[in-house]
Amino acid sequence: MRSKLFAVLSLLIVASMVLAACQTPTPEVKEVVKTVVVENKVVETVVVEKAGETTVITATPAPAAPVAKEALLRINLGTYPDIIDPQKSSFVNEIGHLKLMYEGLTRLNDKLETIPAAAEKWEYSADATELTFTLRKDLKYSDGTILNAKRFEYSILRNIDPATAGEYGSITDEIVGAAEWRGSSPDDAAGADLKAAVEVRALDAAGQPCKDYEQADCLTLKLKFRQPAPYFHTVMSLWVTFPAKEENIAEGGDNWWNSSKFHTGNGPFVLESLEPFVRAYFVPNANYWRGQATYNIEFRYINDAAVSFEAYKNNEFDIIGAGAEDIATIKADAVLSKELMQYAGGCTYAVYFTATKPPFDDPKVRQAFAQALDREGWVKDVLKGNGSPAHTWVVPGCPGYVAEDNKWGYNPEEAKKALAESKYAGNMPEVVATFGDTPRNRTRWEWLVAKWKEVLGVDIKLNPVEPTTFTALTKEKETIPQMFILGWCMDYPDPQNWLSVYWMSTSSYAQRYSFSNAEMDEWMKKGDTESDPVKRMENYKQAQLILSDQAAVAYMWNNLNSYLVKPWVKGVVTTPQDSDFAGSNDPLTITIDTTMLP
Amino acid sequence: MFGYLIRRFLAMIPVLVIVAAITFILMHAAPGGPWDRDPSAKQLDATTLKRMNEYYGLDKPLWRQFTAYVFGDFNSKGAFICGAICGNLGPSYRVRGMTVQSILFSPPEDKPFWYSKFGYSARLGVFALLFAIVIGIPVGIFSALNRNSIFDYIGLFITTVGISVPNFVIAIYLIIIFGSWLHLIAIVPKSWEPISAWILPAVVLGFGTLARTARMTRASMLEVIRQDYIRTARAKGLAERVVITRHMIKNAMIPVVTILGPALAGLVTGAFIIETMFSFPGMGREYVLSIQRRDYSMIMGTTLLFAFLVALANLSVDIVYVFLDPRIKLS
Repeated sequence: MRSKLFAVLSLLIVASMVLAACQTPTPEVKEVVKTVVVENKVVETVVVEKAGETTVITATPAPAAPVAKEALLRINLGTYPDIIDPQKSSFVNEIGHLKLMYEGLTRLNDKLETIPAAAEKWEYSADATELTFTLRKDLKYSDGTILNAKRFEYSILRNIDPATAGEYGSITDEIVGAAEWRGSSPDDAAGADLKAAVEVRALDAAGQPCKDYEQADCLTLKLKFRQPAPYFHTVMSLWVTFPAKEENIAEGGDNWWNSSKFHTGNGPFVLESLEPFVRAYFVPNANYWRGQATYNIEFRYINDAAVSFEAYKNNEFDIIGAGAEDIATIKADAVLSKELMQYAGGCTYAVYFTATKPPFDDPKVRQAFAQALDREGWVKDVLKGNGSPAHTWVVPGCPGYVAEDNKWGYNPEEAKKALAESKYAGNMPEVVATFGDTPRNRTRWEWLVAKWKEVLGVDIKLNPVEPTTFTALTKEKETIPQMFILGWCMDYPDPQNWLSVYWMSTSSYAQRYSFSNAEMDEWMKKGDTESDPVKRMENYKQAQLILSDQAAVAYMWNNLNSYLVKPWVKGVVTTPQDSDFAGSNDPLTITIDTTMLP
Repeated sequence: MFGYLIRRFLAMIPVLVIVAAITFILMHAAPGGPWDRDPSAKQLDATTLKRMNEYYGLDKPLWRQFTAYVFGDFNSKGAFICGAICGNLGPSYRVRGMTVQSILFSPPEDKPFWYSKFGYSARLGVFALLFAIVIGIPVGIFSALNRNSIFDYIGLFITTVGISVPNFVIAIYLIIIFGSWLHLIAIVPKSWEPISAWILPAVVLGFGTLARTARMTRASMLEVIRQDYIRTARAKGLAERVVITRHMIKNAMIPVVTILGPALAGLVTGAFIIETMFSFPGMGREYVLSIQRRDYSMIMGTTLLFAFLVALANLSVDIVYVFLDPRIKLS
C-alpha cells in the first residue's frame, strides 16, 4: 500500500518537473530601481521594460488615502416576491420592489397627502366624473426613452384587461367600461369593442388620441367615471398604474418580471441585477425627474427573524423589520434602542362579532364585550408595546380619522351593565373564539378570554384552527366564526378605502360579516361622490360614528411599523404606508453617511 | 440486471400515481384554497376569482382536476395538454406566469442547471451527505472498535446531540458563534459562489444524518464483530487492518447504506428550516410554503419529485447491496 502511494507521489513530482521544464523560457531580467520624487510628492510608479531589461521605478510610500466606501443601503425584505408585475402584484414585498423602479401619476407625501408625480397636475370636472392628468414634459424612462401618457393608458388598460386577471383589477372599476371589459372572457369576440369602450384616453396637444409611445406632445390622460369619484387621483398613485413597457412585457412573456433587463422604469431606482431568492440590486435612475439618489440599494430575503436580527447586529444589514419578539431585547439594549424606529402603521385590528350568531345578534352584548377590553393593557401586556390602542376604524394620521370617535373604551361597569340589559343576561349561549393556531394567537386569545371572564363572567371556548383554514372560514358567510380577530390595512389613504370598500352593504367584506346599515350606506355614498373635500370628510365621519355605534367590531389596536435603522442611514422620513422598509415612501430623502460606516 | 431495472422503473409508475392520489385527496380535504390570503388586505373580487378558477381548472370536478394533472386534459381551445406523466407539473398558483417545473428546475439567466432551485438543494444535500458519511462512518467505526472508551463516549455524546437537538437550534448557535462572535462567516452570504458559504448550512443539515449514520455504523459494527467469520478471519492469521476493512466494515455497511439512500433523497430535495434560516435559494422552502399557500400544483409537483427520488434512492440501495454482499442477487 505504502509502496503504491510512494510510486504515485513520485510520478506526480516527476510530472510537475517535466511540465515546469516545458514552459517558455523567460528572458533574464535586470532590474534598475529608481525613485522619482517631484516636490516631495509621488506622482506615479513606472515600470519600463525592454528586451532583457526591466527598470522598475518605485514610488516613495505615499500617505494611505482613505478607501471610499460604497454608499449602499442593505435591507432585509423578508420574503422573495411571488411576482413583480405592476398589474399583478398585491403583496407588500412585491410593491416594495415596484415602488423603487416605477412611479405613478401621483404619489403620497409624508403627511399622506396626494401630490403630483409623473403628472404635474390634475383636474376634475365639476361633477367629479372626469379626471384629466397633465404629464410633466420631457419625462424619461431609465433607458432615456420618452415616457408619455400613452404608456399610462396602456398600464391602466392592462390592469382592466380580463387576460391580466390582476388581483387589484377591480380597483379601477369606477372607470366607464372597465367593469364590463374586465368581466368578459379573455376569448370573447367582443373583447376589442369592450376595450375600446373603456374611457381611458391619452391625448396629444391638439386633444387628439395619441398615436404611439414616441409622441412627445402626448401629455394628457383623461379618465371618465360611471359615477363621481373625487378620490381617484389617489388611486392613481397605486402600483397598478405604474408604466411598465408594453414591448418588454411582450418580449419577456409571462415571466418577464423575473429578469432585470425587462424592468425599464420611471422610478427613482433601476434594477441592476436580480438573483431570485438571493438578492436584488438597485442603482439610482439618472433620468428620474426629481433628481438622482446618492446611494444604491440591496434587497435580501431572510425569512427567519432571529437570523435577520443577528445579521443586523453583525452590520450585514442597515435596515430590518424588528420582530415583535425582539422588541423587549432591543429596548433593553443601549445601542439598539437608539436605532429602533417605531411609528404608526396603516392597519386597524379588531375583534369581530358576527351579528347573525347569538349572542352577538344583540347590540348590547357586542357593546359589553367591547367595553370589557382594556386596550392599553392589551398593548402593554400582549403586544409588548408593538402597537397602539385603537378606538377608531380609520387610523390616526390618515385623512378621515375622527379623533372624537371613542365610544366603547374600557369601562368594566358599563360593560357589566350592558350585558345585564341584554336579552342574554343569565342565559348566555356558548361563545366560541376561532383563530389561526400560532403561539402568538394563543397568547392573545388566552388574554382576551381571561379578560372577558374577569369583567363579564362569561366563559369562552377557544377554537384554534390551521391558519389557512382560519382565513378560509372567515371568507364565507356560511362558515364565518362567531367571534374572531381580523383587521384592515389601507390600500390608499382615503376614507373611501376604509369605509366604502369594506363596510358598504354591497361589499363582499360586509356581506360575509352580515353587516348592513342603510343609513351608513347613505353617508358613505355621499362621501364617495362629494366633490367638496370638507363636506366629503363630514359624510365619512357620520358613517364612522354609525359604525362605532353599532359595535360591529371592537377596535383593538393599530399596528406600529418597527424597524431597526443603522445610524449612518440619514434622512429617513417615515409614513404609515412604509410597510416594506422605513422611509420607503420617499427613498430620495435618504442618504448614507459613508464616513460612519464600520 | 437490465431487466430488473426496467421492472423496477415500471413499478414506480403505480407508486407515483398512488402518491399523487393521496396527496391530491389530502390537499383538497384541507379547508381553504390558493386564493385565501392575508385577510387584512384586499381580497380577490368575484370576477377575478372566477377567471382564476377557470384558468387553473378549479371550476372542474375534482376527479377531472386529478386526471388533468396526472394524465392531461383538453384546454379551452381544444388542444390536449399532457400532464405530469409528460413532465408537466402544472402552472404555479402563486407565482403567476411560471410552471412548477420552471420554478424548480430552471436556472437564472446565463447560469447552468445547478443554479436552479433543485440544483441548489441537490448540491447542498450532497455536501451534507458527504459530511455525514465522511465524519459519521469513521466515528461509528472508531467508537465500535474502542467500545466503552473515552472516544466512544465522546462519539455517543455528539451523536446524541445530533439526534436530539433540532437543527434550527444548532443553526442559530453556529450562526451566533461563527458569524456574530468570531466573524469567520457572513451571516448573509453575498453570494453562494464560494464554497465557504456552503459549509455552515451543509454542516447543520448533515449533522442529524451524521448522528444517525454514526450510531447505525457503531451498532452494526458491534454486531459484526461478534460474528463467527470475524473470529475465523483472525484465527487464520489475517492482519487486524484487513479484518476490519475487508470483513467488518464491508458487512457492517449494509444497514448503513439502507438508511443513507432515503437520507440522500431527503437531503437533496431541500430542508425547509435550514434553507429559510440561511436564506438558501433551494426548493425546500417551496415545498412547505406551497402547503401553507395551497399552491396545489406545487404541492403535487414537489411531492411527486420527492416520491420519485425516494424510489430512485431505494433502487440504488438495492443495487449497492449486490456489491456489498455477494449473496444478494438482483432478479
